[in-house]
Amino acid sequence: MTTVELAGIEKSFGSTRALDGVDLEVSPGITGLLGRNGAGKTTLLRLVATVLAPDGGRLRVLGHDPGDPDGRLAVRRRLGYFPQEPGYHQNFTAFDFVDYVAILKEMTDRNTRRDEVRRALETVGLTDVMHKKMRKLSGGMRRRVILAQALLGDPALLVLDEPTAGLDPEQRLRFREIVSAIAERHTVLLATHQTEDVAALCDRVAVVDNGSVLFDGPAPALAERASGRVWLSGGPDDGARLSWRTGDGRQRHIGDPPGGADLAEPTIEDGYLLLVGDRALVG
Amino acid sequence: MSWHVDPAVMERYARQEVGPADAASIEAHLVDCGACRARLHVDPARLDRLWAGVADVVDEPSRNPVEALLRQLGVRDRTARLVAATPALHMPWLVAMAVTVALAVVAATAGDRGFLFFLVLAPVLPIAGVAAAYGPRVDPMYELTVAAPMPAFELLLLRSTAVLTSTVLLVGVAAIPLAGEGWLMAAWLLPALGLTMATLALSTVMSPIHAGVGLASTWAAVAFLNVRGLAGGDATGDLASRVLAFSPAGQALFLTIAVIGTFVVIQRRETLEIRSNT
Repeated sequence: MTTVELAGIEKSFGSTRALDGVDLEVSPGITGLLGRNGAGKTTLLRLVATVLAPDGGRLRVLGHDPGDPDGRLAVRRRLGYFPQEPGYHQNFTAFDFVDYVAILKEMTDRNTRRDEVRRALETVGLTDVMHKKMRKLSGGMRRRVILAQALLGDPALLVLDEPTAGLDPEQRLRFREIVSAIAERHTVLLATHQTEDVAALCDRVAVVDNGSVLFDGPAPALAERASGRVWLSGGPDDGARLSWRTGDGRQRHIGDPPGGADLAEPTIEDGYLLLVGDRALVG
Repeated sequence: MSWHVDPAVMERYARQEVGPADAASIEAHLVDCGACRARLHVDPARLDRLWAGVADVVDEPSRNPVEALLRQLGVRDRTARLVAATPALHMPWLVAMAVTVALAVVAATAGDRGFLFFLVLAPVLPIAGVAAAYGPRVDPMYELTVAAPMPAFELLLLRSTAVLTSTVLLVGVAAIPLAGEGWLMAAWLLPALGLTMATLALSTVMSPIHAGVGLASTWAAVAFLNVRGLAGGDATGDLASRVLAFSPAGQALFLTIAVIGTFVVIQRRETLEIRSNT
């Protein structure tokens, strides 16, 4: 079953081509969009979240065409969206923030709405701080509040744009627990530039770069692409496209290994770096 | 614990049949006496209702003065909340608006040109308010708002109505000292309405803030060019009565603009629901 379908999607902002003929299918489970900053991930997610209209191509979300007013409304009623840089009104508490979005989500009955707000905040483990002002919460807590609003109404599709950015390891772990629990029942489309998120969470991964999808497949297959092309040595190596010093003092290389090289087990990060190459360094 | 609540009294307490003084005494005792608490049988449905009531009071969202006022006026809680989140209805904006209006009224009482200044400034205030009511640059929750099922058109209309009403009331009350000028003291109303509707109409092709800035600048420039060639009069209002915008023909023009603007907004409301650019 396909939840989101993009075929030949194009989007430009002025002279900048943000998406250049993107083809992608997203199914239930967690799909990660991996790419550097400016690769086109956010534009792609905003199209799926029905915030932006594509310039060309075919887009279907939850079986509907977001270009059609009725289809768009049907999508929005079953969508949870976590934007990249979500703002909030300064005087809002965590409860106020989620309650405000619940109103926008057409939850008209006050008691039902408040029950749903409490449920969403409980899901992200913020019941104890729900009456604190948003501005007084830590960055990690604020991101969990923003996740809570995305969970309102038990959406069939969750679109999360860099939800783990700026979180410490403990908060990131908590976030992964929540998202993976949700993905057991729903479709999650997650943008990140952190390969650890993909390795920890995603069933599938799509690598986006320069507005195009360079890879689309199971997460282990991305690592597999680097099989036989990652090696370790005691110093620099001319055959390497990318190299860096590891914690044990050795150099890890990606590229064309010399004969007799000490090959290493490839990771998703190796596969990603091999695909994106030097451009990963400027992201 | 040396004493326990009499079983018959406990029964009556559970049925809410004891007086307030006895109830308070029993409750004080129940806090410390586990044995009596164990004997207390309360209808679970009633307990759920009580807890829901407590949770509702505790979770009552904080209200800013605008939201509290709207609730007092009988506005539904969700509508009051959406309107109160309007950036142009936050306290710093309202205070700035009130100070501006007060200064304009002081200028208006000082003479002919001051009165004209008031009439030219007054329509700019609702334009500024509407421009700052909704949009990507002014509403921190805009991105979430666009992705939600509630129509953006409905929210824009709700907030614009609130801003227009509050600004007109503010300027209207502040202008009471100018009542001696007759109908001319209200000559800013139709330009305000026409320019506000034009701002909303232009918001379907550009951001509200750009639309507002463009229209306010145009209005001020046209008024300046019109006044430049006119000599001041002896009495307050002489100059204003000769400015095209405040003449009967000008008033009719702004009424027409308001009607056309309303038509355009309704026709093009779909463009507010999804963005074609950043």
